[in-house]
Amino acid sequence: MIKKTLCLLLILCLLLPLGGCWSRQELGDLAIVLAAGLDSAPDGKIMLTVQLARPSAFGGGDNGQRAAGPQQNNVWVVSQTGDTVYDAQRYLEAKVSRELYWGHTMLLVLGEQMARESIRKALNFFSRAPDTRETIWVLVSRGAASEVLNSHSQLENTSAQGVGAMVRSGVGVPVMVKDLSMMLASKGTNPVLPRIELTASGTPQGPGMKENIPQAQTGPSHGTHTHAELTITGTGVFNDDRLVGWLGMMESRGMLWLRDEIEKGEITIPSLTEPGKHLSIRIDRGTTEVEPYYDGQNIWFDVKMRMDGELWEQQSMEKITEPQIFAALEKSLALRIEEKSRAVLEKTQQVFGVDIFGFGDAWHRKYPNEWPALKDRWDEEFKTADVHITVEAKIRRTGLTTNRISQEE
Amino acid sequence: MLEGGKIDAWQAVFLNVIMVIATALLSAPAIMAAQAGQDGWLSALLTTMLGLPIAWITVKLSSLYPGQTLIQYLEDILGQWPGKVLGFLYLLYFIHITSLMAREYGSFLVDVFLIGTPITVVNAIGLIISAYIIKLGLEVLARSNQLFFPWVIGSLVLTFLLVIPEMDLARVQPVLEAGGLQIFKGSLAPLAWYGEIIAFAMVIPFLAKPGEAGKIVILTFIILGLIFFLLVVVGLAVFGPGLPNMNYPILNVTRVISLSRVIERPEPLIMTVWVTGGLFKVTFFYYIIVLGSAQLLQLKSYRPLVLPVGAILAALSLNVSASTLQMFSFIAHYWPFYALFTFEFGFPVALLGIALIKNRGNKSK
Repeated sequence: MIKKTLCLLLILCLLLPLGGCWSRQELGDLAIVLAAGLDSAPDGKIMLTVQLARPSAFGGGDNGQRAAGPQQNNVWVVSQTGDTVYDAQRYLEAKVSRELYWGHTMLLVLGEQMARESIRKALNFFSRAPDTRETIWVLVSRGAASEVLNSHSQLENTSAQGVGAMVRSGVGVPVMVKDLSMMLASKGTNPVLPRIELTASGTPQGPGMKENIPQAQTGPSHGTHTHAELTITGTGVFNDDRLVGWLGMMESRGMLWLRDEIEKGEITIPSLTEPGKHLSIRIDRGTTEVEPYYDGQNIWFDVKMRMDGELWEQQSMEKITEPQIFAALEKSLALRIEEKSRAVLEKTQQVFGVDIFGFGDAWHRKYPNEWPALKDRWDEEFKTADVHITVEAKIRRTGLTTNRISQEE
Repeated sequence: MLEGGKIDAWQAVFLNVIMVIATALLSAPAIMAAQAGQDGWLSALLTTMLGLPIAWITVKLSSLYPGQTLIQYLEDILGQWPGKVLGFLYLLYFIHITSLMAREYGSFLVDVFLIGTPITVVNAIGLIISAYIIKLGLEVLARSNQLFFPWVIGSLVLTFLLVIPEMDLARVQPVLEAGGLQIFKGSLAPLAWYGEIIAFAMVIPFLAKPGEAGKIVILTFIILGLIFFLLVVVGLAVFGPGLPNMNYPILNVTRVISLSRVIERPEPLIMTVWVTGGLFKVTFFYYIIVLGSAQLLQLKSYRPLVLPVGAILAALSLNVSASTLQMFSFIAHYWPFYALFTFEFGFPVALLGIALIKNRGNKSK
């Protein structure tokens, strides 16, 4: 009898640890940070802006109903300054009733001002604190990060999810916290980050939304645009940890080619026969190989690019079934890729003077013995290095038709 | 006979692998890369080579004194009192490194998963389970380890497979940039982990066929070499120049896994490896301390010692280092010399020398 009672007591004891140990965190006690923005504040402080999910706005299962009713903002954007990111977060807890939770953060947006000063001092929290993730996407904003986070998306629940989806799908250069740390740690490459800003984008579909439209874009020329959507508009180029300039969208595509990060997209080439008309080729696959050379004095690179594509649009009338014309199109395509890459290469060599393509890493791999002498002045060497770009482009498919169906006789 | 159980060859291999790998796997890649950079994988290969003599000495000593454990044949080699003193020192060494292991085990869980939980709780729960297993004997230890071993290795292999899309082997190049000295330095700390194989000398007498000890350590080293090599290559290929400054790089490896956004955040995999592996590693050394103490004091049973030793280990595990930083610094910079020059390599070499001379003397008489 005593044994049985004892057994029962012991079994009951097992229930005690079931509730978990210390620091139990219930979902209802957490404020989920979807995106974080960092701006520099006066006195060398950091301003942390967080986009917090409002759980009640997400609901479940009643999407249809919610869409029909008046829209409400799904997030709460709130800022706080502090000496460090964590310091600011702790001060935030005087405003936010729940504990900030970083496990689901998708974006880290660095404000332009802070990026021009130094990004290193702001990054450490995101690779050290265990509840942040090294897979957070890092972006740089035109203007203040606190401004761009104060926005919403028309399609997604929140603007953070919208931007996350865009970056993931290969629009702009995809950089995670881990990639940024590696780019900062290596002397053979400099960081790049995708640039986001708010641009006037159509009209909102429901009442009750306060729009945060940039001042410059509310002029009369924008007519009926009353909604501002977060948009990827290019790339920020860094010299070590300081922002030194921007690349536009077109230049960013060239940069992705040189960095061997091209994922998808299209390339438009001018028509061979009819001026002013164009053809567009979808990129199926693009690869880039960089081969460095060194003869003791000069450094040069052979860059070989390969592309497989698919013709998806033809404004002009050339008969692509003619082998010579098809070959000429492929040649024109290759030329276009080379032009794009060369344009961004020349800009980085001459204007910014920094290697953002990892050419230094490639050189380091091939010439490990010579590297120590060069690594601290690599960007100087890069400025004057010759780069030979050769492109081999193939159009493998032409969609559903061969020549145009509406051929003019 | 203090220990009536017998273990077969595979159980011994599994025990040996767990004994070395369990607490090494999370931080070893960073320790190697800190010295050898992207040549850390060469350090891993070198370690396996350098470890073989230690394993050979361990087996050779046991074969000279069949049926005796390390603590017992110390007295045969050195005479009763010097043997007892060295045996006592060995036990102190085992107590020290076991408390360090228990600390590592708890530290990781508290640093990463159970933030805010006192480490006392984690360590105490682990040691209570260990004590229970030891109370049941070596056979139970070996068999339960055999049961969990496939899960440990399976989780590790699965982690390696899932992270392939994040890997870039260019980050492992250029080869041989670090130079021989740095590669050698990088292999020292892992070598001290390999040197823990000396603890195998305490269970060789309980093998079903003690003659297989040689084969067992060779097999152990092949498995270990492969795991260490893969750990470093994976760590480097994923994090490149970021690797040396990470506390638990293999945890970070699991955190970046994202297969089509369907398989994400598989950290429980690495927690499985750590909790089961670490537990068996601590249990194994804990068992050896208990058994060794009983043999040194010539007790009839080791069971009365289980709880007192556990209490010592629990208390020491809390005080063995002041912080994670201090712990890793000790493991990376001091422990290799402390362990290799004395208990793991220095003493065994001396012992083997004396034993061989003595044996020759005996034969010529």
